[in-house]
Amino acid sequence: MEDDFIIEAQNITVRYGELTVLEDVNFKIRRGEIFVIVGGSGCGKSTLLRQLIGLEVPTEGQILIEGENLSEASQDDSSSIMKKFGILFQSNGLFASMTIGENVKLALDSNTSLDEETADRIIDIKLNSVGLINYKNFYPSEISGGMQKRAALARAMALDPDILFFDEPSSGLDPLTASALDKLIIELNAGLNTTMVIITHDLASILTISHRVLMLDKSVKGVITEGKPEELLNMKENELVYNFFNRIPMEG
Amino acid sequence: MSKKIVQIDYVNEGDSIAMKPSGELVMTNADNYDLKQMPITKDTKSITLDMENVERYDTFMLAFIYRVETMCKEKEIKFEMIGVNTDMQSYLDLLMPKDEAEPEKEEKGSKFVLKVENLGNKIKTNLTDIHGFVEYFGILTTKMLKLFVKPLSMRWEDFPSQMFRSGVMALPITILIVFLIGLITGYQGATQLKRFGADMFIADLIGISITRELSPLMVAILVAGRSGSAFAAEIGSMKVTDEINAMTSMGYDKYEFLVLPRVLAVVLSMPFIVMICNVVGLFGGLIAAISTLDVTVISYINRLEMSLTYGDIASGLIKSLFFGFVIAAIGCYKGLKVEGGADSVGRMTTSSVVASVFMIILSDAIFTFIFQAIGI
Repeated sequence: MEDDFIIEAQNITVRYGELTVLEDVNFKIRRGEIFVIVGGSGCGKSTLLRQLIGLEVPTEGQILIEGENLSEASQDDSSSIMKKFGILFQSNGLFASMTIGENVKLALDSNTSLDEETADRIIDIKLNSVGLINYKNFYPSEISGGMQKRAALARAMALDPDILFFDEPSSGLDPLTASALDKLIIELNAGLNTTMVIITHDLASILTISHRVLMLDKSVKGVITEGKPEELLNMKENELVYNFFNRIPMEG
Repeated sequence: MSKKIVQIDYVNEGDSIAMKPSGELVMTNADNYDLKQMPITKDTKSITLDMENVERYDTFMLAFIYRVETMCKEKEIKFEMIGVNTDMQSYLDLLMPKDEAEPEKEEKGSKFVLKVENLGNKIKTNLTDIHGFVEYFGILTTKMLKLFVKPLSMRWEDFPSQMFRSGVMALPITILIVFLIGLITGYQGATQLKRFGADMFIADLIGISITRELSPLMVAILVAGRSGSAFAAEIGSMKVTDEINAMTSMGYDKYEFLVLPRVLAVVLSMPFIVMICNVVGLFGGLIAAISTLDVTVISYINRLEMSLTYGDIASGLIKSLFFGFVIAAIGCYKGLKVEGGADSVGRMTTSSVVASVFMIILSDAIFTFIFQAIGI
């Protein structure tokens, strides 16, 4: 079980013209793990996420999802691999012209042939799991930012994905709402054994939810360390890591 | 890897049915099951759902259980579920909705009451809109008048670029359209005039229709489609991204910063566009005239000089000033009315074009009566 890797990033290099953002990045994510990717601004976190979810193809290297090479997959194959993902985007990505229920239904309609009644029940289950059962007929603009995040999470989970990706889930949320979202992530991970890959800056969140942390830095254009959050918090031998996790500004 | 489908076996045991799903009870297998196939008769007293052989499941399993349970409730049949292992039970406990809370947005009341309520809400919305526009129009007019006293109150930095975008950039399409309108009017008119031997009056027809009506009207409609919609979308997007709030918090007035430069730019550029289009429209008519009638270039121009008055040209230019004001004012108003997200920007942009075109035609009719009355 320990070595049941669901995602493997092998020698990932990403270049945009002359600019190299990531160079020779390697890591593996275990099934059912909450894996957090951290790093300062401009270190390539979002670039890495785009490669992981198949929105971009790395210049070199490959991304394996359950052993299937996402980077070299044909259009059809990559679509089928991508059905294993649920993604919670930083700005939610909820369709403003649809109700919360319709947003969740959209994911179901495009990938399943469920009848109306069953689909409706699944929407209820999804919204219930994020505590929004009473807001099915509300539009995104009619609910708070925290609720929008949860609604987007319900949509991301609509197809029971094996992997959930989160891009800055707590951005724009107050500490209490962010903490409630963390609790929900932990509950869903424990209950559903869904692998969670989270990109975040929020230290409180990292320390609360993560099983393992990967830290990127732009000085090396890649990974500077990887480990359990408590190890990284006390990693005095690496100044960059220690300062990041203890919120100590770098000199100069 | 072959995909396992869900199979449901039914075992009749007297007045009870044992329902035994097996395989993968997952969403992608949804089209493999049909509850209508269940052999329920009027004697059926109970249904036992045996989950022992379900190998893999997802949220679909919960919906499936719910549907069987609901069907049993409706038919007053006893429902029981067995063969649920610990993992499956934890899954059900985590996801199965505990209680059915009343939706907060549920509409209550009879159909008649709802219809009256909806009608009332629509009237209220429309009245609020009218009130909002009158208020906006009042503020805008006051700000424009204030410009005479305090010319520097407006953000003039934006004015040249707005004038370029809504004036100069609109020229190619307006010129082309009015040229074609002149050409079409010329050909249509020539056919009729030829029947009466009134060839020379083609210049009167083209001259008056282009300068008084067609040129200002076509230019206004095109500018409404180009600039009016652009203003609504631009200001609407700024509202969505809180740029207008930021501007207000820095002490800027949104009218002086955003609305006035756009309104003035369109108002002042409209007469110039119309003047250029007048010439082009008359030229289009000339081509139609010389190619279909016994008319020369010189005689066409001489006739134009005789038939066209300064009043004809002035009435078109005066109207164009007003049309420009209507287009820019409505475009900016709709932009400021945006609330929510991208869909609202789209709705307001469409609405700005529809409202502008309607107001252009309406005000054109009013102008016609006024000019008739005062003899222009």
